[in-house]
Amino acid sequence: MKTIRLGAGMAFWGDSINPAIDMVRHADIDYLCCDHLAELTMSILSKRMERDPAEGYTPDVLDLLRNVLPVCRERGIKIISNAGGANPRGCAERVVQLCKELGLQGVRIGVVTGDDIRGQIDDLMHDGVSFASLDTGAGLETVRSQLTHANVYIGSDGIVEALEAGADIVICGRVTDVALYIGPMRYELGWAADDWHRLGIGAAVAHIVECGGQATGGLYSKGWQQVSGMAEIGYPIAEVSADGSAVVTKTPGSGGEVTVGTVSEQMVYEILDPGNYLTADVTGDFSQITLEQAGQDRVRVGGVTGRPAPGTLKVNMGYRAGFIGTAQFSYTWPDAYLKAKRALSLLDERLRNADFNCDETRVEWVGHNSMWSPLIPEPDDPDAAEVTVRFTARCPSRQEARKVFSELVPICNNGPAGLGGLGTRLPITELFAVWPCLIPRDLVPSAVEMITV
Amino acid sequence: MRVFDLAHGRSGDKGDICNVGVIAYDDGGFAILREQLTEERVKEHFGPLVTGPVRRYEMPNIRALNFVLNGGLNGGGTQSLRSDALGKVMYAWLLRMELDVAHD
Repeated sequence: MKTIRLGAGMAFWGDSINPAIDMVRHADIDYLCCDHLAELTMSILSKRMERDPAEGYTPDVLDLLRNVLPVCRERGIKIISNAGGANPRGCAERVVQLCKELGLQGVRIGVVTGDDIRGQIDDLMHDGVSFASLDTGAGLETVRSQLTHANVYIGSDGIVEALEAGADIVICGRVTDVALYIGPMRYELGWAADDWHRLGIGAAVAHIVECGGQATGGLYSKGWQQVSGMAEIGYPIAEVSADGSAVVTKTPGSGGEVTVGTVSEQMVYEILDPGNYLTADVTGDFSQITLEQAGQDRVRVGGVTGRPAPGTLKVNMGYRAGFIGTAQFSYTWPDAYLKAKRALSLLDERLRNADFNCDETRVEWVGHNSMWSPLIPEPDDPDAAEVTVRFTARCPSRQEARKVFSELVPICNNGPAGLGGLGTRLPITELFAVWPCLIPRDLVPSAVEMITV
Repeated sequence: MRVFDLAHGRSGDKGDICNVGVIAYDDGGFAILREQLTEERVKEHFGPLVTGPVRRYEMPNIRALNFVLNGGLNGGGTQSLRSDALGKVMYAWLLRMELDVAHD
């Protein structure tokens, strides 16, 4: 029976490329699957593409490919990546350039598009797609003018088509994270697009490995003290057989561990109802999942099934939603807390005098309750050596957000003694909010283009 | 006794929803968590950090409970004013919760 081995190469834009380099050299894998896109990465990428039409992909893919491509060519490892982001074709052009630089010939690149519906919104709305918010039911017109992008989470069809056309590298835009794995499973193992049971298993296994080191000892709350070799942590590898049996393991000789504990923690990461794990390819049912240690750094995954994929696909839309201004400062003993409280009330007064306009503010005491304020009370120990306050405000404009720091600065000289650690102004963050909505799946055909170097 | 004595966990974000998964170390612990970590008690434990309803799901074969905290991220990871904008340490707040059981 055929078994394929899919390695997790990247888990997010900016992730270390070392685990992937280690994996293609030392693990016997067939595919390197790389996820570069988080929920609102598309907002950032679309903004970059507006400035320069050649941009819009995650540039880390070039650094990754420069380091792994020669070995992958030698060992016959194919690469599936969603680094195309807002500009899969532009990304592919850069990959072509890179192949030439590296002297690699005959590389076939598949470009999967179709997820970007920004230019079709009017037509789609005319055809009856409401794009109403799943959270509030509000119509898209409330944020339409602030939209940064609109991409559909598409499934694995385009990836399968590219592999059938002989692709060595598949560059996608906003495909789902799990499609990066389900695509090669369907292609290699001959699973039908409606083999819901096996696709459900594929979705579970992909979910476990797609966040890289989080399945191999990273973020491990149970046994982090015992995890060895974290600096050289190995990324996970899914071994999947045609009958749907599956084992999660990692690069031989690498750091970290694959145990029932590490995999269990990743299993519960960012899921809602485990009995209804919605993806573009299948509705996974993970509610009866079993995990069994099947050797050192090997965990067998069982008990999973699937049901038909939903009739609608999720749309990843983002819109500009204001700015966050931040001020952070420290006060020292004696009476550090009282001084900081006084400074906060001065800041409040100064902001009011400056006609400050904001939606919401938050005060956190760093090192004390910054994670769970207000559930943990403020640090009012009169003998504390120091306290650090972080004050943030969400504002409608950049100009308002700037006031947070500029109104704090005079308090350095004109407020209570003992202020330190003011440093420079923290950057103002522009906010992109998610507009969660759906689109009927048959309105989103994916397209594949093949380029040979 | 705290949840921490019986389980480990992990949390993350999906829009303005934070999900917190806890995994019991053994069957006895799982039975206690199942009984005590009701949606109501978990909602109360998170207080003002969670503005919407809490839903609980189970994965019994790995002894896991998954809590879906609607309105748990101050508007969502990209808009939140919190240092923990992505809810990565919300699980630890649940592990700190005191249980109504005598220590052995």
